[in-house]
Amino acid sequence: MRIQFFSTCLVDTFFPETGEAALRLLRRFGVEVAYPKEQTCCGKPPHSGGYTHEARKAAEHFLSVFDGADPIVIPSGSCASMIKNHYPELFKDNPRLLEKARKTAERTYELTQFLVHVLNAHEAGLKGTGRITYHASCQLTRELSVKEEPLLLLNSLQGAEFVSLPHADRCCGFGGIFMARQPEISVALAEEKAATIRNTNADTVTGCDHGCLMNIHDALRRRGDNVAVKHIAQVLAEGL
Amino acid sequence: MNNDRVVSLFMENATKCGAETFRAAGLDEAQRLLDDLLRNAKSIFCPGVGEKERALVIPPEKREEDYREASVCVEEVFGAVAETGSIVCSSEGGRVVQAGLLPPHHVAIVPQERIYETVEDLFALWGQDIPTNVTLETGPSRTADIELTLTIGVHGPERLTIIVAP
Amino acid sequence: MSSSREAITFRANVQKALRDPMLREAIKRATDTFVTKRTEGIASLPMEEWREKASTIRMKVLDNLPQYVEQFCASAERAGAKVYQAVDAESARRTVAGILEDRGVKKVVKAKSMVTEEIHLNPCLQERGIDVLETDLGEYIVQLAAEAPSHILAPAIHKTREQIGKLFAEKLGVDYSDDPTVLTRVARNVLRTEFLTADAGITGAPFAVADTGSLVIFTNEGNGRMVTTVPRLHVAVLTIEKLLPSVTDLPSFVRLLPRSATGQMLSSYVSVITGPRKPGDFTGADELHIVLLDNGRWEILKGEYREILKCIRCSACLNVCPVYRAIGGHAYDSTYPGPMGIVLTALLEGMERAHPVLDATTLCGACVDACPVKVPLVRLLCRLREASVEEGFAPLLEKRGMSAYGAVVSSPVMFAFGQTLARIFWPFAQKLSGYGPMSRIPRPVARAFRRRML
Repeated sequence: MRIQFFSTCLVDTFFPETGEAALRLLRRFGVEVAYPKEQTCCGKPPHSGGYTHEARKAAEHFLSVFDGADPIVIPSGSCASMIKNHYPELFKDNPRLLEKARKTAERTYELTQFLVHVLNAHEAGLKGTGRITYHASCQLTRELSVKEEPLLLLNSLQGAEFVSLPHADRCCGFGGIFMARQPEISVALAEEKAATIRNTNADTVTGCDHGCLMNIHDALRRRGDNVAVKHIAQVLAEGL
Repeated sequence: MNNDRVVSLFMENATKCGAETFRAAGLDEAQRLLDDLLRNAKSIFCPGVGEKERALVIPPEKREEDYREASVCVEEVFGAVAETGSIVCSSEGGRVVQAGLLPPHHVAIVPQERIYETVEDLFALWGQDIPTNVTLETGPSRTADIELTLTIGVHGPERLTIIVAP
Repeated sequence: MSSSREAITFRANVQKALRDPMLREAIKRATDTFVTKRTEGIASLPMEEWREKASTIRMKVLDNLPQYVEQFCASAERAGAKVYQAVDAESARRTVAGILEDRGVKKVVKAKSMVTEEIHLNPCLQERGIDVLETDLGEYIVQLAAEAPSHILAPAIHKTREQIGKLFAEKLGVDYSDDPTVLTRVARNVLRTEFLTADAGITGAPFAVADTGSLVIFTNEGNGRMVTTVPRLHVAVLTIEKLLPSVTDLPSFVRLLPRSATGQMLSSYVSVITGPRKPGDFTGADELHIVLLDNGRWEILKGEYREILKCIRCSACLNVCPVYRAIGGHAYDSTYPGPMGIVLTALLEGMERAHPVLDATTLCGACVDACPVKVPLVRLLCRLREASVEEGFAPLLEKRGMSAYGAVVSSPVMFAFGQTLARIFWPFAQKLSGYGPMSRIPRPVARAFRRRML
């Protein structure tokens, strides 16, 4: 089977190793991965700030680049949700693009959704190490309803110990544009999240969204914490 | 649900919400319970409106005519709702609903036959012809306004005693 | 709290709140307690079913509001109440003041009412020489402290017991104690005298029933009952969207409000008041005056934000909000804080004043999950942010940034070029940024993922 991979602007710009890990994972399950070279950004950053014009530009570009019928797989809950839940709204006054947006939304998957529901990756005996805890990102959990999939995958890792994070789905304070508009509150929330992570004595914290992970990483390092912060793609691909 | 189960459910829920609940087999037992409860009471207000409350004896020397001065109010209330463990005070029939509010101890005689299973069942009695004041009283008065620490006994009674009587 | 057009100084308020460890601890403890109790309280309930039903009833009211307002006025008057319709805050204040002054009222006892905060009723009455005493313990505390409430259900949760103890000692001349039981008893004793000597009681009403003309009042303390049955005069102020169609709809909301608010099965006292005392009654005020207030609701009803009017003021959204939890209610400098507060403030006070408070959300969606009447809060907040940008309230630097984004996002070549520029200028941007996002985001990599895919 073939899929189209959308790396996301964060992975592209800051965390390419997550993109590489995701590819390794997908290929391990025999998936042929196409990477549309002209991809840029899904439009979430301007969208969360109310810049509809810019969000629409990004969305139109995405829709034209990700043409076709293959599933689109994305290592980010907020990007996947942007496409699945918010693109139709952006184009409600444009019937042609609305139709395209709907069709595209239907074949869009967040990475763990795809791994569990299409590839049964949680039954593949993947390997891992160490003590791992998991932060549940807001749009992933509440807009996409992806709650069990990451847990199924992490719990399936042979050789790794999964420890539940208290208040795992409490917001870490990233909020996209929020981090720029209200940095003090963002830091306060991130520090709270970091403290909860510290108390689990995990050596790795993972999640499905780099926005959150970036924010959490900063809070941990400010306090001199050495907990590793890794995207779930990296954690799952490590044992391959 | 038959009346017996409704009564049990009411008593269970009322107790959960902090009321003391008793069930009297008859007026004799109700009187005994009342005597016990009122042994150390200083001054007692009894409106004398309901049939059951008129049949009960309150020590005359402790009677207080002004509910604002009384330390206990003993009254027959309209009924109760099992689902929420609430007694129902209604202004119908000349009842003095606020009399149960001011004294620190409210002793409510609940007629067993007027315990309703749900809030819907209660309001269905009146339809649109509802009395001036219908109050659901659930447990004693309380607040958690200071550091969300629960304190019992604020403006309303700090003690609610319920006697279910046939 | 100002109602002028001056923008809320939200960022400054936030910085002040974050520097106050006692405040932060108090808010955290309170909201965590509320959330735990609420979760326990609704665990065994068919909550999804209840929410859907409640949302449907509330939408029915909004879709037919003129009819229900008319019906309520007629029913309430049939029950012996006098009903006044006030178009705005000024008119409501004048109406209430007029009713009180005509009857020589000198002292009023009040049960908690957010709408009377919204219209700034207390200062207006006090200016006219009428003594106004808040009787809800939390409201009484903030009144003594000359502060605004910081939470719609528990107005004084930003204060520690020590602070309240000191306040009572100072203002009431009692011995210092920080024991909540002792402090509550002090308030009970002081306010008991006031209840018994007040000329009038003023309340709001979480719900009003159109077919019977009833008002429904919930308290745990008993003060709601006190102020509506002890003084001879009862004045109720409520906004038009608080109506429910019929007394048969009441049970759904009587159950839902306490559960959603505090996890309780029911508040200690729920009173359904229909008109003043009638011949044969020994309970009830002699006169009941109901002020039905618009104050911007008709306007909101016409527009795309109308679903905010479903709100039943349970405060569940405040308690689950990570931002509210971090900063408390005063930082919003509005009658209504938290998620529903941001929306109402923007709609009632206008974008010019309210736009900074649109920042007070990460759009995490916890409020959407918690709302018992399914107000689509995230959708409303997003739309408000859009409107704020459209109306020109976006910060300049941010606007420039977004324009630059818009210029490169459709072109992969430009996008890649932008990434390279960002990498080059990162060290300088970081130096300028302080706590800003630049200092918290790593440097763009030398070889972007797209380059590795060539």
